[in-house]
Amino acid sequence: MGSTSQKHHHILPTKTALTIGALLLVLTAITVWIAHIDLGPFNFVIATAVATLKASLVALYFMNLKYESSENRMIFITSFLFLAIFIVLTATDLFFRQEVSVHGTFIAEGSSQSKLKKPWVSTPELVAHGKEIYAIQCVACHGLEGKGNGPAAAALNPAPRNFEAVDGWKNGRKPTMVFKTLKEGLPPSSMASYATLPADDRWALTHYVLSLHPQVEVDSPADFARVGIDPNQESVQEKEDPKISIELAMSQLAHAESGMERGAHLYHSRFEQVQEGPFIGKYLYQKHCLECHGDHGKGGIKVSVLGVYPVAFVATHPLNQQSPSMNSQEVFNQAVIRGIPGNLMPGYGNLSSSELKGLYQYLKAENE
Amino acid sequence: MLQEETVIHHHAHHFTSANHEFEAAKQGMWIFLVTEVLMFGGLFVAYGLFRGLYPEMFHEAHQHLAVHMGALNTVVLITSSLTMALSVSSAQKGHKVSSVRYLVLTLILACCFLGVKYFEYSHKFHDGLLPGGFFTNTEIKSPKASLFFSLYFMMTGLHGIHVLIGMGVISWILRRTLRGEFGPSYYTPIELVGLYWHFVDLVWIYLFPLLYLVG
Repeated sequence: MGSTSQKHHHILPTKTALTIGALLLVLTAITVWIAHIDLGPFNFVIATAVATLKASLVALYFMNLKYESSENRMIFITSFLFLAIFIVLTATDLFFRQEVSVHGTFIAEGSSQSKLKKPWVSTPELVAHGKEIYAIQCVACHGLEGKGNGPAAAALNPAPRNFEAVDGWKNGRKPTMVFKTLKEGLPPSSMASYATLPADDRWALTHYVLSLHPQVEVDSPADFARVGIDPNQESVQEKEDPKISIELAMSQLAHAESGMERGAHLYHSRFEQVQEGPFIGKYLYQKHCLECHGDHGKGGIKVSVLGVYPVAFVATHPLNQQSPSMNSQEVFNQAVIRGIPGNLMPGYGNLSSSELKGLYQYLKAENE
Repeated sequence: MLQEETVIHHHAHHFTSANHEFEAAKQGMWIFLVTEVLMFGGLFVAYGLFRGLYPEMFHEAHQHLAVHMGALNTVVLITSSLTMALSVSSAQKGHKVSSVRYLVLTLILACCFLGVKYFEYSHKFHDGLLPGGFFTNTEIKSPKASLFFSLYFMMTGLHGIHVLIGMGVISWILRRTLRGEFGPSYYTPIELVGLYWHFVDLVWIYLFPLLYLVG
């Protein structure tokens, strides 16, 4: 016969086991019952607290942790400590990360201050000017009439805003908020930042899209304050703080000595294998162009990204040697930066020259 | 009732005593359970973050889970944990017959759990409530609802695999109990399987409110 010392081991009395079992069932009933009462965020807190109480009962009595050696107890509890660190640090990073950008003199003078007087007040001239820019920059997605049904809309989820409807505007319909949306975009949706458009053009666009519905919303002083505008002043003293991503700033600092241009090293951290030119081009193409121009610039929308039925195609220009935009890097740059008026091609004014070069090289290589 | 005074277990030569062997084995089990906590932990972190990002989607998607099924399974699993605990204490006291009886009960309850899960899963398959790209349900409006079902299947699936493995090891100790290998002087395997089974219960205790009762 083996050692008798196992007899000193604590044996769970049947009565205790039954009591704990009954307690666990009662707590389960309480959890289900409380879930049917709407207590807002407290539902989650209570549910987790009750679950923790139940888990503690199981661990302490059924798993005998109460009578376990302190060493084993510590081992098990430490795992939850590490789980807590895991949760807290990841959540802190995700939910409290402020804007991922740094201020600096890095970006070009693309954005500018408004030169108009009181551009936040809608005028027929501004609306007319906005309509012109709209036809270049916005129609592809938002449609000719602003119904959010442009040719590229089919590929987008969430769908582009329908300006003829009052509800659902992410930042609301107040002019300052629409202006803010144009400046910052609506990540992670496909609504890009149009900060590279001159501020006056953005105000014009704001008034144009708001004119598509008769309901007018007026900015309160607090709204103006939020975007840094003093409505009593004649012109906008809006600060267009130049900002770039931390990633880019880091790579710029790292390569400051070699004088490398922006873009070429932007993708260092993201991809292990860094190739110049065409590689960046491929990345940018997939990010900005693929939705309309299709795989490898062959034209048409890539069918697999469509979420609608019946499947819609846009007869976009294939980006091969015959395309006039592919004649030279200069012509290509103009088309990409400014867009092609009347052809649904929006402008992508925030690409750097090396990014444009990479994009051009990629398309050239694809068509050889 | 058999007092298993005939049970003979020779501890391995690298242990100083049977108790030394028992304590080492048990500590090994606790360390294994720590790795289990961290394995499930990754999924719980993913759950927490995505719920924080898309609270409305979680609320809408969770309404497609059957609360009564989840509650039933909670009751089933808690009861199986109780029978497991009773089986361990019976073995420790040398009550072979009741230990066997409780082990069989535990196995039956585990089967019930998987049975309920089977009905739940087939219902989800039928409604197209599937993970990621397999999601074909049209009733749910949130565009990211497939994320919830990715988490649902990952978490309950991994848990279900644990239940299956648990049934395997319970069957194994049931066989050994029937052979009369355990008694008051040696019950290490049955105690360790008990720890594992309670841990499986412990995970479900959190999964149930998190998945089925999103406020």
